Amino acid sequence: MNAYRCVFLMGVEQALEYRISFLLSMLSALFPIIIQTTMWNYLYRHSDASAVFGYERGEILMYSLLAVIISQLVSTGFEWEMNSDIKLGGLNKYLVRPLKYERYQFFWFLGQKIPRIMITLPAIIIITAAACLQGMPITAGRTAAFFLSLVLAIILNFTIFFCIGLLAFWLTDVEKLFGTISIVLTVISGGVFPLDIFGKTAEMLTTLLPFGYTAQFPVNIINGRFGWERVGMGFTFQIGWILFFLCLGNYLWKRGIRHYSAVSG
Amino acid sequence: MITVEHLRKEFTYYRKAAGIRGSLHNIFHRESLIKEAVRDISFSVEEGEMIGFLGPNGAGKTTTLKMLSGILYPTSGSVSVNGFTPWDRSAEFKRQISIVMGQKNQLWWDLPASDSFYLNKCIFGISDSDYRDIVTELAELLDVKDLMNVQVRRLSLGERMKMEILAALIHRPKILFLDEPTIGLDLLSQQKIREFLKIYNEQQKTTVIITSHYMADIEALCSRTVIINQGCLVYDGQLKEINRLLGKRKLLSVKTAAPVSAEIWETFGTVREINAAEVILEVAQENVKDAVSAILSNLEIEDFTVTEIPIEESISRFYQKEVIVP
Repeated sequence: MNAYRCVFLMGVEQALEYRISFLLSMLSALFPIIIQTTMWNYLYRHSDASAVFGYERGEILMYSLLAVIISQLVSTGFEWEMNSDIKLGGLNKYLVRPLKYERYQFFWFLGQKIPRIMITLPAIIIITAAACLQGMPITAGRTAAFFLSLVLAIILNFTIFFCIGLLAFWLTDVEKLFGTISIVLTVISGGVFPLDIFGKTAEMLTTLLPFGYTAQFPVNIINGRFGWERVGMGFTFQIGWILFFLCLGNYLWKRGIRHYSAVSG
Repeated sequence: MITVEHLRKEFTYYRKAAGIRGSLHNIFHRESLIKEAVRDISFSVEEGEMIGFLGPNGAGKTTTLKMLSGILYPTSGSVSVNGFTPWDRSAEFKRQISIVMGQKNQLWWDLPASDSFYLNKCIFGISDSDYRDIVTELAELLDVKDLMNVQVRRLSLGERMKMEILAALIHRPKILFLDEPTIGLDLLSQQKIREFLKIYNEQQKTTVIITSHYMADIEALCSRTVIINQGCLVYDGQLKEINRLLGKRKLLSVKTAAPVSAEIWETFGTVREINAAEVILEVAQENVKDAVSAILSNLEIEDFTVTEIPIEESISRFYQKEVIVP
């Protein structure tokens, strides 16, 4: 068996090892969904206009539900492990084996995601089907583009957080930043509410910066907000950012490992 | 197999005074200091040889092993391990070596050890049949067959160390670095691991460098010992030669029927310990015979034994730099 396939399967196994913790993480994923639904329902019930910030009630509900689910789907956690590997010397076991650390982390991360994907996918299908029944024009083409963008979003978020994790080579207390970075990135990726409600500038920034491509972009494909031209442009940006962070990660790794081999180990 | 020449490693670190004041001061001005973990070490190891690497804490043993296994870059000097420069970290080099660190876990904590073994099999591209043979053989030798499917975190320290060693040997490395593999283990576990390493080395002719603070490990496994202290090599040779180098001296333990004063004992040899009617004397090898007959003819003896000076004691004299071998 290929080494990385083995890593992937071990990741799945590890995710299922702690059943209670897994169930709790699923349960805690429900809270943002409940909060979002309640908040938007309240806002629309107390507003005279049928559309707030350019979104109708059904649209914003669908957006926030999908965005919350996608944010959780792409979310990472391996940066904590990278930090302890680098700080406590756990990295040694990867350095003495013919194994690429970045690939190892990627397949481990994917493996750990599988149980969550298995549970999240039906939720996405239910929400989309409900939206479809409400009259939202969801075609097979859009669904395929949506799933493709979702896969790319997972990869993009991995590459971003891999670079953040590598900062542990230089920063002593980097783990204190992880929580803050994660919350800020969730918000500026459109994982809580659509960023275009803040106007044109925010929308343009979301288009140019990488973060929107980890949450807002897939939702805007499935809800029909983006025309095919913008979808095409979005994919170009999404892939471009993945390549950028891959190169950055590679560069940081090479610099970091030189630093590690020189000062710690 | 292994050649080390003038190996040197410096680390930079920062001085920080205790407390918040020290931290604040460090924000604006950090005084950097250099620590020489390894100053100048040269030695070579033949294929199939098993050498003991000794030294007090902070002598530079682990740092040297890390450089030999490619984890650390040296500040200067050269190392060749079976023709490879370790810190180039070529895949081919990594296939030939393995390192076990008694204080670092290399197995996947939350999964059974068998999963870590299987991952190693995949990483090193070992065939299914070879893998089965190796694991069965090693698990038998290490007596861990029944523990293969237990989560690593649930194993005892001794069991975990056996698993660490097993995982390190799956790809049949030609060179094995063992950094304190018996640290913290009970006597029985230490002995088991020692026996295993002895048998394994004899069968596989693996080149082994082992560091340990337990002299029993080194005495049982290594004929040759390299001692380092404060980053420098202080001894390289046979373990049994150490006592000879320090001047052959023996210990005489004597029990008399009635207490004898220290002044009288001093006439027979150097008094090490004296307690009522029991005494331990240090006597030069060539004087042992005379001293024993003198004691027997002058005093009423109940019991006496002649022993070598414990090797630990001799080694500690190297550690304290009481002895410097040119």
